[in-house]
Amino acid sequence: MSQVGPQPDVQQAPGREDLRRRIEERIRRLERASGNGLWSMVLFLSVSFVAFDGFSIFPDLSNDARRMLGTPPSGQMISLALVVYAFSGIVRTLARMSRNIKPYQGLMHVAFFTAFYTFYQLSGVLQDNFWAVFFAGISVMGLENYYLWAHSNEAIRKERALLKSMWEGDER
Amino acid sequence: MFSSINSRAIVPVACAVTGFVIACCVLLYTFVKDDLIKGEIQHAADLSDTVIKSTRYAMLHDDRETLSNIISSIGEQNQVEHVRIFNKKGLIMFSPDSQEVNQFIDKSAAGCTECHAGAEPKRSLGTMAKARQFTNSSGNDVLAITAPIYNEAECSNAACHFHDAGQSLLGTLDIGVSQDPLKRTLGQLKNRMIMFSGMILVLTVGAVCALLYRQVFLPIKLLTDFTESSESDSLGTDLPEVSGEIAQLAKAFQKMTNRVQELESQLQSKDDVSPPNLRS
Repeated sequence: MSQVGPQPDVQQAPGREDLRRRIEERIRRLERASGNGLWSMVLFLSVSFVAFDGFSIFPDLSNDARRMLGTPPSGQMISLALVVYAFSGIVRTLARMSRNIKPYQGLMHVAFFTAFYTFYQLSGVLQDNFWAVFFAGISVMGLENYYLWAHSNEAIRKERALLKSMWEGDER
Repeated sequence: MFSSINSRAIVPVACAVTGFVIACCVLLYTFVKDDLIKGEIQHAADLSDTVIKSTRYAMLHDDRETLSNIISSIGEQNQVEHVRIFNKKGLIMFSPDSQEVNQFIDKSAAGCTECHAGAEPKRSLGTMAKARQFTNSSGNDVLAITAPIYNEAECSNAACHFHDAGQSLLGTLDIGVSQDPLKRTLGQLKNRMIMFSGMILVLTVGAVCALLYRQVFLPIKLLTDFTESSESDSLGTDLPEVSGEIAQLAKAFQKMTNRVQELESQLQSKDDVSPPNLRS
């Protein structure tokens, strides 16, 4: 019977330590997620910088490659797709914000906007439409990243409060 | 920056709306520009058809002097940058610029390559493919149309000509019109769209800000002042001039504070009564 007394304390301490480690790990993960938003924005700005120059750092597409890719879509079709994508992107982010659903990290948006730049380039109308893609990207990704940042900060604040309450409990 | 509820609510919405409106305006401008350019090309194509039809009679009668006069008169028009007729070999036969006459056209130049890119030249082109845009030696932006002059039954049957019926193309008309009016129109359109977008942005963002301030931020501020201003523990009786959920919240605060105060006074009275008993 004398061995029964200390056992709960021995089990409780590692359990609390494990929980604390998990909370710290969650905080680190949230901080990384918040930073990922910033990196995706930097990636988008880099792609935009390259696109602004008409992708001149890449060699021109050969006629064979163009023939293989087929006829590019018309500039108007790409513009229509861009408007629909930007509009739905903003609406979806606002809907997620209002329902407090976890945001994504923006990399998918970078891929889509890079595709828009590429399609415009292949259709030969990138110069006319560059600023449309740029501002659509900035607005969609800016809102997405703002939500990611706000969501992560809120979650970090909650985790830190939990951690603090654990420390206070230990001290008592 | 995002510590206050005002900035957290307004800044993201303002940025998203601004970006989307700018993107849509750029696309709308591109659409309108494309439509205007297409209209201009159609207009130039119609002009070239008119020139060909006007010169047809002179060509049938091999009246080179009349033909030369017609071409010179057209070339004198303000918006016409150049007009020339050259034969199948590319030799310029008629032009208002006398230095051009009897010179060969470069078949590798823009405007010729559309038909002469392959080994066998194309017989016909669509209206848009006949057009080319370039900046001429005077620095003016030009929209040019290259219109073929086809052989017709009257041409091959005419006594004065030697064109046989098997020859499909007799020559080509090349006419270039200035793009300055189009550029001016596009410039005006751009300025108007910038002004219009600016007004939409100011109105949208302004309306969102004003509504949020009036419906959310101001009642919250009044409620905060109400809960913080009282010097005593109770919240006072004058509720802030708010309505709806904020008024309910203010009443709930007031009720809760009164209840706490009531409980405190009950405890106090118990303390006041109990000490003599304890002392005894």
